[in-house]
Amino acid sequence: MADLRLESVSKSFGQEEVIHDVSLEVAHGEFIVFVGPSGCGKSTLLRLVTGLESVTSGRIFIDGVDVTHVKPSDRRVAMVFQSYALFPHLTVAENIGFGLRLAKTPAAEIRRRVAEVANTLRIEELLERKPRQLSGGQRQRVAIGRSIIRSPKVFLFDEPLSNLDAALRVLMRLEITRLHNRLQATMIFVTHDQTEAMTLADRIYVFNHGRIEQSGTPMHLYNAPANRFVAGFIGSPAMNFLPAKVRRQEDRFTAAIGSSVVPLDRSLRNLPQGEISIGVRPEHMSVVDPADGDVEATIEIVEELGAEVIAYLQIDATAEPVTVRLPPQRQVVPGQRVGVRLAHESFHLFDSDGALLG
Amino acid sequence: MERDALYWRVILLAAPIAVFTALVIWPLLSSFYYSFTNWNGFNPEYDFVGLDNFAKIGTDRLFASAIINTAIWMVAAIFLPTLLGLALALLLDSKVPGGTIFKTLFYLPICLSAVVVGQIWIWIYQGDWGLLNTVLRAVTGSDFSYAWLARPNTALGSVIVAWSWQQTGLSMVIFLAGLTSIPDELLEVCDIEGATAWQRIRIVVIPLLTPATVVVVALSVINSLKGFDILYIMTGGGPFHSSDTLAMHMYNESFKKYLMGYGSAISVVLFLIALTIIRIYFRNLRKVDEIYG
Repeated sequence: MADLRLESVSKSFGQEEVIHDVSLEVAHGEFIVFVGPSGCGKSTLLRLVTGLESVTSGRIFIDGVDVTHVKPSDRRVAMVFQSYALFPHLTVAENIGFGLRLAKTPAAEIRRRVAEVANTLRIEELLERKPRQLSGGQRQRVAIGRSIIRSPKVFLFDEPLSNLDAALRVLMRLEITRLHNRLQATMIFVTHDQTEAMTLADRIYVFNHGRIEQSGTPMHLYNAPANRFVAGFIGSPAMNFLPAKVRRQEDRFTAAIGSSVVPLDRSLRNLPQGEISIGVRPEHMSVVDPADGDVEATIEIVEELGAEVIAYLQIDATAEPVTVRLPPQRQVVPGQRVGVRLAHESFHLFDSDGALLG
Repeated sequence: MERDALYWRVILLAAPIAVFTALVIWPLLSSFYYSFTNWNGFNPEYDFVGLDNFAKIGTDRLFASAIINTAIWMVAAIFLPTLLGLALALLLDSKVPGGTIFKTLFYLPICLSAVVVGQIWIWIYQGDWGLLNTVLRAVTGSDFSYAWLARPNTALGSVIVAWSWQQTGLSMVIFLAGLTSIPDELLEVCDIEGATAWQRIRIVVIPLLTPATVVVVALSVINSLKGFDILYIMTGGGPFHSSDTLAMHMYNESFKKYLMGYGSAISVVLFLIALTIIRIYFRNLRKVDEIYG
């Protein structure tokens, strides 16, 4: 049984509908990530699940029970906020035990469970401190501690790592993964950072303009994006899009990128002739001698990252900037004229509306 | 360039420092000076009497009663507007119909001068036709008549009510600002964790209003220490000195009995009391700052 099920959920603020007929299921123990750009409705959806906002239409089920009109505290969900939402006047121990205190749990029991949680999160030595005396990472642990102490059915994380610096974000990602492995709890994590989504999720829901664009495992979304939006959003560096014209030549299709013509997959049977976009991941492009490439380009910027080199190129034929991921030993310099070879079998073709072709 | 900046800094600072010195520092030092004299406020000739004025304070029965009245005045003038302001702010923050109108109405009295407020309440308390007695007569059906400001056991309390009526609006506005500065997430945590309305107010809202409370209490302390005008208008410290506060007693001694030296000694004591309270306030302010930033 799904721990969480949304049936045709919509939400409007005044006349403006921000969530459009969203249906989804989350199985017990799954780590789900809602990802999408700012303002796409992912946080609003999370607030609908907690009950902090009420749905305009549709139904929400937790553990098979319709909780659409149940108040937040009776839904048995816990939420970790982006701002941590710790009470500044309470100690770490009091913050973690907040829910138990409200439920009038005996003090000894609160102390025991707070100690257990503190042990799980390795924050025992912080229990008597106030939130202001903690670092960002420590505050986040305390916020997580408050959410796990009541053993909720569903954990909801609303961009909890956004306020942390890059290094701490990586560490906290690992912490959250470990926590999920240990608790085997159902977790929903909202982020606009596709790297977080890819690294944390069992499954990802990609949102845009209040709609689900696609869902699936991280690698499924990466390898088989359903449309140009998902293709461009998932993956870092982002997928390159080359404008091209499709032509039919006898029994197969070709695409003209500027004056260069590249063959398309032989299995393609039905393609509209005309303008399309060819999506190519940076690792599916290679830099060769100008004469050996599918298209010619000039290298603009080179980022040497140690394990790899990211090169930003300007393709002659289209004046489109593209990103290429190169092995570390590949020596390229800005201003260099190169050929770019495209892995034809890894093309993703999109029509002018961004829909997947073929 | 740097010399120019320094020049302007000196010029711009000199003006306020000069005004502050003339209107605050100089009178303050003068009070200290005259407290050791028997100056009557007019005669250019006076003698130094050492600590005589301060010794007199110890035996002055009216000073002792003024100290008690000041303590009652300050405690009531701090607690009543603070508690009423908090209650009104919590009520009006919960989106009651007509909230804006109520906020305006409750804030209005602070815009009036103490003289006007005093006169309004003199009429309200008037024994024969005052609003309070008229209402009490209507409610009880009796021919109730009581001169609230003319009786020693109700005079000070009656002025405190009038003072609280005026000051509550200010406390309310500060608490309302404090309520809007509480992050929504903290209140949403209460919703998710299942806090009752009372738990939410007691465990979360009131503690989070500490910075606002500090401001309200500070203003109440300062205003109550300065609270002379409304007492002067409504009771003049009477009847029988029953509403005499230190400020009122100092005024009476200095300007009615022309004992400027003794009055200055009382003002020095008042200054030291204010200084002590302000020191306690600043020490606590630091603690609040450490928690709430």
